[in-house]
Amino acid sequence: MTTRWDALRARWPRSNGHWSLRPRATRRPAPATVIYRWDLDKTYLKSDFESLRKMMRVPFERARDKIDEPGVVALIRALKASALREQRTAFVYFISASPPQIGRAIREKLALDGIEFDGILFKDQLQHLVRGRFRLLREQVGFKLAELLRARLSAPAGAVEFLFGDDWESDPIIYSLYADVIAGRLEHDALADILVRLRIDPARLVEIKALSQKIAPADAVRRIFINLERRTPPDRFRSFGARLVPTFNYFQTALVLYEEGVVPLAAIVDVGRSLLERSAYSAARLRNSLDDLARRGYVAPAAAVALRAELEEAGVLPSTGVLGLWPRQLWRRWRRRRQRARAPMAPAIAAAAIEYPRLIDAWVASGSRLGGEPS
Amino acid sequence: MPVIAVDAMGGDFAPDEVVKGVARASLGTAIECVLVGDEPRIQKILESVSYNPEHISIRHAAEFVEMHEPPKEALRAKRDASIVVGAKLVAEGHAQALVSAGNTGACILACARHFRTIKGIRKTALASVYPRQTEYPGQDQLALLLDVGATIRCDALDLAQFAVMGSAYARRVSKVERPRVGLLNMGAEPFKGGDVLTEAYQRLSALPGIDFVGNIEGNDVAKGRADVIVCEGYVGNVVLKLIEGIAEVVTDVASNAVKRRFMWRLGMMLLARGIREVAHLADYTKYGGAPLLGFEHLFLKAHGRSTARAIENAVKVAAKAVRDGVPQEIAAGIEAVR
Repeated sequence: MTTRWDALRARWPRSNGHWSLRPRATRRPAPATVIYRWDLDKTYLKSDFESLRKMMRVPFERARDKIDEPGVVALIRALKASALREQRTAFVYFISASPPQIGRAIREKLALDGIEFDGILFKDQLQHLVRGRFRLLREQVGFKLAELLRARLSAPAGAVEFLFGDDWESDPIIYSLYADVIAGRLEHDALADILVRLRIDPARLVEIKALSQKIAPADAVRRIFINLERRTPPDRFRSFGARLVPTFNYFQTALVLYEEGVVPLAAIVDVGRSLLERSAYSAARLRNSLDDLARRGYVAPAAAVALRAELEEAGVLPSTGVLGLWPRQLWRRWRRRRQRARAPMAPAIAAAAIEYPRLIDAWVASGSRLGGEPS
Repeated sequence: MPVIAVDAMGGDFAPDEVVKGVARASLGTAIECVLVGDEPRIQKILESVSYNPEHISIRHAAEFVEMHEPPKEALRAKRDASIVVGAKLVAEGHAQALVSAGNTGACILACARHFRTIKGIRKTALASVYPRQTEYPGQDQLALLLDVGATIRCDALDLAQFAVMGSAYARRVSKVERPRVGLLNMGAEPFKGGDVLTEAYQRLSALPGIDFVGNIEGNDVAKGRADVIVCEGYVGNVVLKLIEGIAEVVTDVASNAVKRRFMWRLGMMLLARGIREVAHLADYTKYGGAPLLGFEHLFLKAHGRSTARAIENAVKVAAKAVRDGVPQEIAAGIEAVR
């Protein structure tokens, strides 16, 4: 028989032998098999394509010249390590529209960073050049979508996917389309219409349609993370739905992945520490990042409260320093926390079908290039 | 990096322009801003623009003081007003300076209630920078006028203290090594202007560490004779509004002339670059805001009509003043003349 005492104990868990006044946050259970698909430039690497001169320099860069995005190395290492620790299967793949000629430097860079990966795919630009298919040199939506679908065909059944891209090119559209195609949410005619709007090469269009027909429908993509490298206003991604999470740094990404149950708290701490030690972040910047994510609704209020406390204890976030506050303020703070903790968990944005035609038109009109530089 | 509290709800175009200004500052600098105001509204505006969340936090305040409200009554009725919450944040050490484009009276009153005045200071002063002629190459194009509205009437000692405060600000923020201080008066002679100004003249002449250049008449305000001009708040406010008004009249006259005759239009076209330069110099959005000097903490009053650019610059000026230790410089100056 459950006593009132047991109920109280369940509500207020013990932490380090002391009674904690923090309510337990609910996380999603971790899937058994997870695939993490990463874009390379501007997502993993801080590639500089701002000028033609800088772009031309990229193929000649050595591994040690390449700079990774702050926190990304710690996060990818944590993805693999946590799966290993919890006896789950995790695959890390990279996909890039850059030519395979830079592959050696990239592989060396990944080795230098201590990243274990299961595959890396480049776009064979030379083949297009030899065949005179110049239009395909700059096209990346069709290339990435086709390759993602091909990769899905060989993925283990039931594998859940997390996709990582950036706000420079067309990653939000490519990843969202991919997620909806493998979930069986897009009819073949609708898909064809979208691909035409995206000005995909006819041969590639046929290939994508054929691949999509072969895939057994499964709602496998849980989250699409877009690294806001260009600081694109998050509002612009609202029409992609709650599945797509625009994040300003990899600390925010780690927080959402923790909520998804695929990394432990230690992973957030690792990413936070890497930002503090390697990228001159301050604890206050990390706290602001967590608060921003909570305000945008990607971390539930109760979870944000619990996370803040845990990360303060780990020394990643600055201590709130409650000592010295007036009792009345303390009481207000306590009451506010309880109210937040009682609030039901809700998704940030109501899940709704994406209106691709409207979205693509708006995306093109707003100046986002579909195709263009390699990503 | 200093933490600057910004009253998101103060100003004619608040909260939109204020939030956008802070968002701009977050992208270009490492200054941390605390936006004080209606959290959901602030967040909604933030998400519609480019910003860096690492440098922005939000402190919710349920109420705000409107521009037309009587300050005393408003602060009495609205205890959770954004300007009050912002002032408390600074007073409690969560931020080092406060910026607001809101109701000036309410801002000064909120600061007076929550900030401590520097030891020895009797009255605080609102200082404003304005463009002026330069007398020699390398001279700062901006001069400082104080007080422009924190007080109404002052005595000679207050004016002497204003000189110390203005000099400290000019030394630290404008990097003028030895600022020249003038006393705004109705004549150049030391005995002009009545008892208060005569005594102020004597006090300023005797102040150590102050480069007093004598009385400054109205026609000398826009010239390069003094880097800091001291006056009563009532007079300073009239002078400041007059400068603003003249700039508006010049623009208005020029735009009317363009419409009337073709030759005038041609002339204006030839003068266009020069006019643009003058307009650029007189553009208040460039200067950020007016610092309220005399408190242990810094408050920067931005123009009521502040745009995002003006707020961005106000945040930068506030951060610079904090970094350069303006309140500490004022305290040292006051201590030296006591």
